[in-house]
Amino acid sequence: MKITFRLVLLAAAAGLGFWLWTVLFPSPEKVVLKKMAGLAATATFDSGDSNLTRAAKAASLAGFFATDAQIVINIPNVAIRTFSGREEIRESAMAGFVSLSSLKVQFFDTTVVVGSDQQTADVNCTANVSTGKSKDFGVQELHFQFKKMDGNWLIIRVETVKTLS
Amino acid sequence: MPATTDHSTLAHRLRVLAIGRRPRATLARILVLVVVCFITFRFVLLPVRIEGISMLPTFHDGQIHLVNRLAFLFHEPQRGDIVAIRFSRPGTFSVPSEMLMKRIIGLPGETVTFHAGRACINGKPLDEPYVKLPCDWEHGPIVCGPDQYYVVGDNRSMPFELHMQGRAGRDRIVGQPLL
Repeated sequence: MKITFRLVLLAAAAGLGFWLWTVLFPSPEKVVLKKMAGLAATATFDSGDSNLTRAAKAASLAGFFATDAQIVINIPNVAIRTFSGREEIRESAMAGFVSLSSLKVQFFDTTVVVGSDQQTADVNCTANVSTGKSKDFGVQELHFQFKKMDGNWLIIRVETVKTLS
Repeated sequence: MPATTDHSTLAHRLRVLAIGRRPRATLARILVLVVVCFITFRFVLLPVRIEGISMLPTFHDGQIHLVNRLAFLFHEPQRGDIVAIRFSRPGTFSVPSEMLMKRIIGLPGETVTFHAGRACINGKPLDEPYVKLPCDWEHGPIVCGPDQYYVVGDNRSMPFELHMQGRAGRDRIVGQPLL
């Protein structure tokens, strides 16, 4: 009985230790997933948010990107545009955030594949974006490329993916 | 004490009605039912809510349907089938959160064109009784690859450019709505 109790205690301690280890030293997949969740939360704002809050969110959004990051939007008949560099992304986000009444961004079915060098990651997801109080929304498949720079995972490229060719 | 006897009989009957004569067996049945329901509605019959107008008048905005993931287990999708198409991670068995609901009109290797609002397959007009709304689409030939299906919604009254349609790989087809 005493041995069983000790074994259970040992297993519990090992489990706790493993959990602590994953919390303190998360895997690159977890870090990138957390970044994606943060990106969606930062890009989302309510109609009640002031312009100051929106400007802060736009600046914060740009912080997810590398200085030479690129966003390539290629949705035929809807939008074809490329944003190059963190500054252009920040300015475009600022302009968009001020002109929209509200914005809700959600990423679904996110998959992360970390490169063998543990310094790059490819992320695929489905973005669901809705604006204002209308029921209108857009669903778009996206591909993100992350790179670890100075210990921080930053987006170096975002591109739209054609679900139907 | 007849009243007490009646009361205890009623309580016993209610107890039997609620949890059965053998509570352990009832509990086991409930557990099995919960597990079967979880597996069925999580992995086999996926509940989906239709959003948008591209499948009018067959499907309306806000309708609830079940997508059968085993529909194409023993046969390949056919022309006229309504299919659910996954947005991300093609080729996996994971359950997608967002799907497109479209109808197959072109099969692998076929050429799809739209002329005077009618879909043509390899140059021949396709009979589509499910298309009820007026259409004036004109579009050049699109050739489906060996593993591609041409999918389009039933609502052809909206502009061609705004209607999400095109070739979907077989690995993107998740299943078929039940009804």
